[in-house]
Amino acid sequence: MKNLGEIKDLNQRLHFFSAINDSAKDAARFSVKDNICVKGFEARAGSKILSGYVPPFDATCVERMAKKGYNFIGKTVMDEFGFGSFGVNTDVQARNPFDEKRVAGGSSSGAAVATAVLKDHIAISESTGGSISNPASFCGVVGFTPTYGTVSRYGLIDYANSLDKIGLMARSSEEIRKAFDIIRGADRYDTTCTENGITDSKKKKLVVIDQLMHGIDDGILASFEALLAKLEGMGYKVERTSLDFIDKAIPAYYIISMAEASTNLAKYTGYKYGRQLDAFTKKYNEFFTEAREVFGMEAKRRIVLGTFVRSASVKERYYTKALKVRALLANKLSELMKDAFVISPTMPIMAPKIDEAAELPPLQAYAMDSLTIPPNLTGLPHVSFPYDYLKGMPVGAQLVTTHFNDYALLDFVGKWEKSFDYKFKYNL
Amino acid sequence: MKIGLEVHVAIPTKSKLFCACSTSADEPNSSICPICMGFPGSKPMLNKAAIEYALSVSAALHCKTGKATSFVRKVYFYPDLPKSYQITQLQDAIGFGGYVELEKKKIGIRRIQLEEDPAKIIREDNYTLIDFNRSGVPLLEIVTEPDIASQDELREFVNELRSILYYLGFDIEREIKADLNISVADARVEVKNVNGIRNLVDAAQHEIRRQEDLHSKKQKIVAETRSYNEKTLRTESSREKESDEEYGFIYEPDLTVYQIKPKKLAKPIYAGIIARELAGGTGQLKKTVLDLIQFDSRALELFEHARGKWPLQSIINVVEVLNKYGAKDIGMAHFEKLLDVARAGTPISKQVLEQVKKGVKVEISEVSSAEVDREIKEIIRKNSHLLKEYEKNPKVFNFIVGDVAKKLKANPKEVSERLRGILEKGFKG
Repeated sequence: MKNLGEIKDLNQRLHFFSAINDSAKDAARFSVKDNICVKGFEARAGSKILSGYVPPFDATCVERMAKKGYNFIGKTVMDEFGFGSFGVNTDVQARNPFDEKRVAGGSSSGAAVATAVLKDHIAISESTGGSISNPASFCGVVGFTPTYGTVSRYGLIDYANSLDKIGLMARSSEEIRKAFDIIRGADRYDTTCTENGITDSKKKKLVVIDQLMHGIDDGILASFEALLAKLEGMGYKVERTSLDFIDKAIPAYYIISMAEASTNLAKYTGYKYGRQLDAFTKKYNEFFTEAREVFGMEAKRRIVLGTFVRSASVKERYYTKALKVRALLANKLSELMKDAFVISPTMPIMAPKIDEAAELPPLQAYAMDSLTIPPNLTGLPHVSFPYDYLKGMPVGAQLVTTHFNDYALLDFVGKWEKSFDYKFKYNL
Repeated sequence: MKIGLEVHVAIPTKSKLFCACSTSADEPNSSICPICMGFPGSKPMLNKAAIEYALSVSAALHCKTGKATSFVRKVYFYPDLPKSYQITQLQDAIGFGGYVELEKKKIGIRRIQLEEDPAKIIREDNYTLIDFNRSGVPLLEIVTEPDIASQDELREFVNELRSILYYLGFDIEREIKADLNISVADARVEVKNVNGIRNLVDAAQHEIRRQEDLHSKKQKIVAETRSYNEKTLRTESSREKESDEEYGFIYEPDLTVYQIKPKKLAKPIYAGIIARELAGGTGQLKKTVLDLIQFDSRALELFEHARGKWPLQSIINVVEVLNKYGAKDIGMAHFEKLLDVARAGTPISKQVLEQVKKGVKVEISEVSSAEVDREIKEIIRKNSHLLKEYEKNPKVFNFIVGDVAKKLKANPKEVSERLRGILEKGFKG
């Protein structure tokens, strides 16, 4: 890369890459979130417990991008295992290019920053509960989370397998569409990935769900109303509706994701890969305990809670019930979106300062996902796109559609981009 | 007394349950990959051949199979478990509600499920090694109802089950692993991780005796998990309560629900039933036949080929001889020759076997009916008491037949027909 030096200098300040591929070519660049495997590059998924893990294989999406001539330029930083909304739950914290005191969002923090500072670049990222929409919104880029099961997860270091979706960030819907067509499609290495045809069923109606509009920052609320007016001017019909049940999304999401995460994190025991212990004289339980001490606080919290909600005595009350909520919510939302998109702001707040975010109590931090969780929990495709700048900071809106109607979202954003110019501070 | 079993057997697929690694590597840790090592980023992919084997066993054990099957994660920490969870089955297991037919009763099969084997732990004096070649090998767990009521039944059940598996292509030389549940009185005791059939029967015997002892002394039998010590020939308390087991099962989200399509399955063979049919009963003869065919498909082929055309005893004789000389691969034409030789009463020596194989004509003493008649009459004349005894004891008939057949090297069947004719004509010596 011609501007490798500049990129490295900026990375010193904004911390978006955890590793840079020095030998990458200039054209058609793509970066990869650090929880997705690239052969020969350390994959830590933001965790100390994976220090030194160099996967011996490429994730399917990485392999497919490389095959089409895209050039891998680096691994992007993230919250540990994806556990976070602000990119602060890790040792290297990305900074927002619009205000370096503020967070970049999470958990795909580095991916969003990289997209905001690099031109001609695609970020392969991943969302479990909002990890693409959220940082895309805070950093003013387009963040696309496809229907669950359209992009192979092979090579993704699991957070919650039934919720994890590999997706994309870029500076335009056009670039995302190109990359999406490369990485999607069935893969024998991921049983949950299907060859379903992606549709482009355009909607003229936009639904705003009342319950999602509670607790949103006043400034964002006002600018979102202005967006709706503008969209009406573009020919869309805006409708308000109530969906009480959507309040169940956050608890259901955290129960399922923590239950699965606690099983996924069980494998990190310090003797096969990543952090290696020498304490082979210890009994295995003590050995494992010592190896697992390096998990961050949020990871430990999710292991404990996740183990609890799937334990025999309460499983029916939590885990099993959450699965039912998920299925029911998917039906209700799909019904609502037969002839409409659901639209909302992407985040209820502006990007907070890094020290503020780090001190947020867990429940308040989880509540920040109220808008991104419903489509993520139900595997519905969604896209976040910049629509305004408030006090110099970008604001994003999120559009949701029915399963496998992914193209319709990109089509919508494409039309939006004709009437709105995205702003970037860097163009490396 | 109630005995129930959980038997684990390896499914003989070429590759592992969730990856393409070979199941038959010798050098430790040579047949491993990111999937069976549980490397971060890897995902399981289901081996459909393992599903088919499991379905065949399910059908052979008369189990019901649902329209779909799914997997769960069983979470526990142990060094032999790469992901710290085992992918196994629970509610939507491959099969449920079947049975195995024994001589006198049926043993219920509660559930049949697929799961992955953990790695192999090799304990040395000062250290422990782990061989991950075994990690991910497909296992079938077969859970019985507590229908087994004695050690004899236990042995019969295990052998019948192994025979069914053998005929479905399983490698029964591999040691089976089993957990035993035994309750002599009310308390249920689990004896875990017993390896091999002999140990299984021994462990049952010792545990039954221990419980009977306690019971007769009116002492309390504790519901607990025990292990069998092969050296002391005793079961020992594992000091863990069953209720303490907490595996935190969740659905395996990396494997979607697998839809089972109706397919033609391997036809099961029930050696016990075949032996009973061949022998026409359940006595010693059945046991002899069963011993020959239970784990020997070629022997079964030979029996099926000759069935009804040669006397059962001749077939048994020939198969035993072929076993003895390791010659069961003999062609059917030669096999038939040997059957003729046996039927004629000629013992089959190694030399006879070689002659038949080389196509050299074997001298079967062709005895004329007249000669047989003459010999029969002579024996009766020389032993005049025989006829009187025959009226009281019909076995004397067989004695005469045997004697004549041996002397003339004649076919006993023919001798017996001639003897019956002579007696019917009222021959009195």
